[in-house]
Amino acid sequence: MSEAHVEQGVGFEEEALPYLDAVYRFALRLSGSRDVAEDLVQETFLRAFRSWNQYTTGTAAKSWLFTICRNVFLRGRERGQRHDEIVEANVGRSGPAAGSVNPVWSSLMGVDPEGEFFDSLVDDRIIEAIEALPEEFRTAVVLSDVEGLPYAEIAELMELPIGTVKSRLFRGRRQLQQVLYDYAVEHGYIPARTGTED
Amino acid sequence: MSMLDRLRRWFGVGSADAVEEGDGVAMISCEDALRLVHEFMDGELEGASADEVKRHFDMCQRCYPHLRLESAFRDALKRAASGEAAPPELRDKVTALLEEARAEG
Repeated sequence: MSEAHVEQGVGFEEEALPYLDAVYRFALRLSGSRDVAEDLVQETFLRAFRSWNQYTTGTAAKSWLFTICRNVFLRGRERGQRHDEIVEANVGRSGPAAGSVNPVWSSLMGVDPEGEFFDSLVDDRIIEAIEALPEEFRTAVVLSDVEGLPYAEIAELMELPIGTVKSRLFRGRRQLQQVLYDYAVEHGYIPARTGTED
Repeated sequence: MSMLDRLRRWFGVGSADAVEEGDGVAMISCEDALRLVHEFMDGELEGASADEVKRHFDMCQRCYPHLRLESAFRDALKRAASGEAAPPELRDKVTALLEEARAEG
């Protein structure tokens, strides 16, 4: 592809539009709102089109679009609050313990060792739990578990070292597992271990 | 079933091969296997370490359920969050927007 063609945006639609659904879903998970997601998607594709000459053919178009989408989202959210302050506040020192044994899985051993309770959770409930995660965890989990991006692409997209991506995935997943577990216990999807039937 | 198929794929067909290979080779600890479970499932472990983790989960009854639960969790996330398509009007809007931008040059 010649430079002139790239500058005219040749091939953009073919390369980028197949990811419209994925970008929409990502925008939806970032913003938690259909209206905002629609705006984010339009802005993302417009910006991507305008910077098409900076895109290297052969690199992952999906990641590139996600990067633009997330930047648009974060910039929109920044008003009045600096991004690093949000990161600091959210990522801080809270979150699940880093032990290798997953406490949620340990609790399930005697009662639901195959995790059948996950099948009882409706999609909306799971999505709600994903959207309740702090953005830094949510983005990592969505990109890895839903969109299947490799660590290296997530790291580049989030401008983080791979080690940090791993720890965000670890903590984000654990947090999500805990939330879903608590919900399932509360709603009786997981039988109580010490049988106190009435 | 899909989960089981996936587990089978990770473990390969012949788990007996893994046992044979394991002869005389020290297995990694439960601690290490559980610590690496995410990277293993994410396909981010290569060669020897992936084989070691695989062998551990294949042979350790205590750890295996952790892998299975992790897999059930991921199946649930995928099922819940990966199906949604963009509304058709949005697709039209984006297409129109791009045509406009192209016309502007």
